[in-house]
Amino acid sequence: MQILLYIFKRILQTIPLLIIVSLISFFIIRLSPVDPLAELKLNPSVSKETLQRETERLGLDKPIIVQYAKWAKSFVRGDLGVTSNGEQVSAKLKERIPNTLLLTVVVIFLTWVTGVPLGIFAAVHWKSKRDRILTVLTSIGMAIPSFFFAVLLLIFAVKTGWFPVGGLTSSDFLEMSFAQKIWDVTHHLILPVAVLFTISLAGLQRQMRGNLLDVLDSDYVKFARAKGLSEFKVIYKHALRNAVNPMITLLGFEFASLLSGAALTEYVFQYPGLGRLILEAVLRSDINLVMASLMIGAVMLILGNLIADILLIITDPRIRRKEV
Amino acid sequence: MKRIGYILVVLLLLLLCVNRDLPVAESEAPQTAFAAPQQVVFPPRAKTVTLKGVDYLQSQAPAGKFGGALVMSTIGEGPKTFNPFNTKDATSAALSELMYDGLVTTDPQTGETVPKLAKSYEIKGNDYIMHLRRGIKWSDGKPITADDVVFTWRNIIFDGFGNTSARDSVVIDGKLPTVRKADDYTVIFTTPQPFAPFLRLLAGPIAPKHVFEPAVKKGKAYFETFFSTNANPKNFVTSGPFRMVEYVPAQRVVYERNPDYYIINTENRKLPYLDKVIYLIVGDLNNEVLKFEGGEIDLINLHGANAARFKARERYSDFAMYNLGPDTGTMYMGINQNNRRNEKGEFYVNSKKQKWFRDKNFRQAVDFALDRKNMVLNIANGLAAPLFTPESLNSVFLNKTLKPYGRNLDKSRELLKKSGFYQDGKGRLTDKYGNRVEFDLYTNAGNTEREAIGVMVKQDLEDLGMKVNFKPIEFNSLVNKLVSTLDWDMVIMGLTGSPLEPNGGKNVWLSDGTLHVFNQRLEKDRRSKRLPYEARIDELFKQGALAVKFEDRKKYYDEYQKIVYDEKPFIYIYSPIRIAAMRKKFKNVFPSSLGGLTHNVEEIYAEDGK
Repeated sequence: MQILLYIFKRILQTIPLLIIVSLISFFIIRLSPVDPLAELKLNPSVSKETLQRETERLGLDKPIIVQYAKWAKSFVRGDLGVTSNGEQVSAKLKERIPNTLLLTVVVIFLTWVTGVPLGIFAAVHWKSKRDRILTVLTSIGMAIPSFFFAVLLLIFAVKTGWFPVGGLTSSDFLEMSFAQKIWDVTHHLILPVAVLFTISLAGLQRQMRGNLLDVLDSDYVKFARAKGLSEFKVIYKHALRNAVNPMITLLGFEFASLLSGAALTEYVFQYPGLGRLILEAVLRSDINLVMASLMIGAVMLILGNLIADILLIITDPRIRRKEV
Repeated sequence: MKRIGYILVVLLLLLLCVNRDLPVAESEAPQTAFAAPQQVVFPPRAKTVTLKGVDYLQSQAPAGKFGGALVMSTIGEGPKTFNPFNTKDATSAALSELMYDGLVTTDPQTGETVPKLAKSYEIKGNDYIMHLRRGIKWSDGKPITADDVVFTWRNIIFDGFGNTSARDSVVIDGKLPTVRKADDYTVIFTTPQPFAPFLRLLAGPIAPKHVFEPAVKKGKAYFETFFSTNANPKNFVTSGPFRMVEYVPAQRVVYERNPDYYIINTENRKLPYLDKVIYLIVGDLNNEVLKFEGGEIDLINLHGANAARFKARERYSDFAMYNLGPDTGTMYMGINQNNRRNEKGEFYVNSKKQKWFRDKNFRQAVDFALDRKNMVLNIANGLAAPLFTPESLNSVFLNKTLKPYGRNLDKSRELLKKSGFYQDGKGRLTDKYGNRVEFDLYTNAGNTEREAIGVMVKQDLEDLGMKVNFKPIEFNSLVNKLVSTLDWDMVIMGLTGSPLEPNGGKNVWLSDGTLHVFNQRLEKDRRSKRLPYEARIDELFKQGALAVKFEDRKKYYDEYQKIVYDEKPFIYIYSPIRIAAMRKKFKNVFPSSLGGLTHNVEEIYAEDGK
């Protein structure tokens, strides 16, 4: 019961936060010199009447505050509005969200499944040769800019012909059997996943290693060892449980990056995800689409943090007593 | 010592990479490699043959193999609609054009207007009589008749549904043409007065009445969403060589052949040859090049350095390169001749600068100081042609009597002297009132080509003692300056025109046009005084549109080009040359500067049938 109350309080807190975020984003976009009609204005075949009609359709003839109110009103009702091309924003997002989710879920799953054990492994074998090798590898992973790495892999794909050059499906996807379809998608996913995996694995592994090392150095671990517990029990039963707290917070952030974390890689690999859609929307100042994506980002971040906090409450009795 | 060894190894590796990326053949100058468009032997023009009561159009190109797919690409976000009447961007237009044929089309070789969906046409005074083909069908089996044509023009275009630019372009002195059905296979268009560009406008798509009528009845707002990108392609009823089967957002658009198309080959078999046409949607130029190199696309337009790189490899590769001649795009430098004031009573252009910019000698002096040849070689990698007229070099209306010339600083100095400009002791150019000649030159930041031109223009003009402040600014801000705040001195911009119809440039050249940037009149300045040459161009454009015979029209448009050539409101710099590469396995490819490589997509076939 108490926990439900806590969640309710947290949700109430997000409302003013969302209002502030939306206000700031809306005004920044509208006050920037980007004119959504610039292209049309320079097109000799577009008449003055057409320009006038477009201005009215996009609501650009009204003061910013009225535009914001209009947007906010329909947003509260759950209507994300239409893009500057007249398509439903929600339909546009629906097209892309599954693709982005596919990519990020695969990446997050892989990084956690390998990152956490590798971190533990490195911490347990602290200062050994194996730890050093892992340190070198993860340092490379952290140092390499994702954009550059993606371009390198893309060139690799072109030169060897082993991988498709970007995209998510082949052009004859429609005629494939189910197994072929799965293979086709996997084949396309390998390179972008490799990029994102390398980058985020490094951070995660370092984090896990650091946490565990901190804990292993503490008095109660020394005590546990001293009283003769097996090394396995010391590490996996006592130390790990305490080392995992910061990881849960991290997981909350990972949740936030589910929909927005891969934009750059998506762009390089021409991956049909949200990132590319939103980049293009920003460039053309497509206000409803940009606002929708910013709000999604904000909501996901808040939600991610909330989930992390709840998980913490469940795993850590100390926090339970303080927070609730 | 050890460290130096490592560094050497790394350097050696780097060197190896550099060597591998620079093929020996690259030293061959690209401009000689692309000396002239290759000679293309076009097949005779297609003719109408009647078989079992159906008026087919028979292609005269060599018969080929059926089957296979052609993969092309489109850069950007992909299509925004599949309704050919709603398209506002080139990608959507190109993608829907593949599905809908027009009554007439442009002969890619000569630029003449030739019948397509129409069997033939006659022009009698202001009447354009279209004879339709008998027995040809929409993709759902219903016949294509005069009702469809009348419906398209009367109920969609004239009534202002969708993108109204088609309607705007046929309005003559505020009046619309009329269209009526004479019988099931004859349609008569009547223009309120002679209007030469009208015939070419009939190349627009024709809609199937039985599919579009319900949408039109639901009003304009509904029509905007009709056949949007979310529509089920199964419902598309088309007349073109291909029809869409699949659209995957941000990835591709797939078309399959229309099995009942009305064009047949010399063996009387129905075209198109290709089973599929696929457009991949790619985000940017670099990705497109990678996809071509990776073999995922079959056709690509190349620019600058990439063109040179591919040319060097052409001999060992499975693609052939084509020079499609000068582009319809023009790169120019505009000079602001505005002498009006804004709402606050301030001049848009500083009054001392106005005296320079409105001085023809000054503008000509600037023109003679530019080294176009140098810009073509250094900025466009030789893949461009110096330009001196507003009509693009492949335009059928190009005034060929206007001769190109080179840089001539002496002439520039002479012209400046005539207007009282002089260089002071330090070589600085000063006008006769003692003001230092200094102005701003704008272009849109991020466009590397225009930025490079700006730098060279600045250098060229500084040889005359002018001080040029070159300022690349953000595109939107630049547009705002050009069309609203009007506070700019000179600008480097580009425009695309039509090689067939100069009337399309009326928004630029008419003195109250929306893009008449060199002397832009905002709403409140509508009635302000015209410069004599502006008034003359207004008159010439009016006459040019009214005249019907090509020779008569050419006279008017020749004069307008001559005026621009002399008065230099815009100083034209160059026109890029279009280079394209296409896999060699595709046959029946007849490259043309007017139609590109795929103007005859129904005739193109893959040698291996794949």
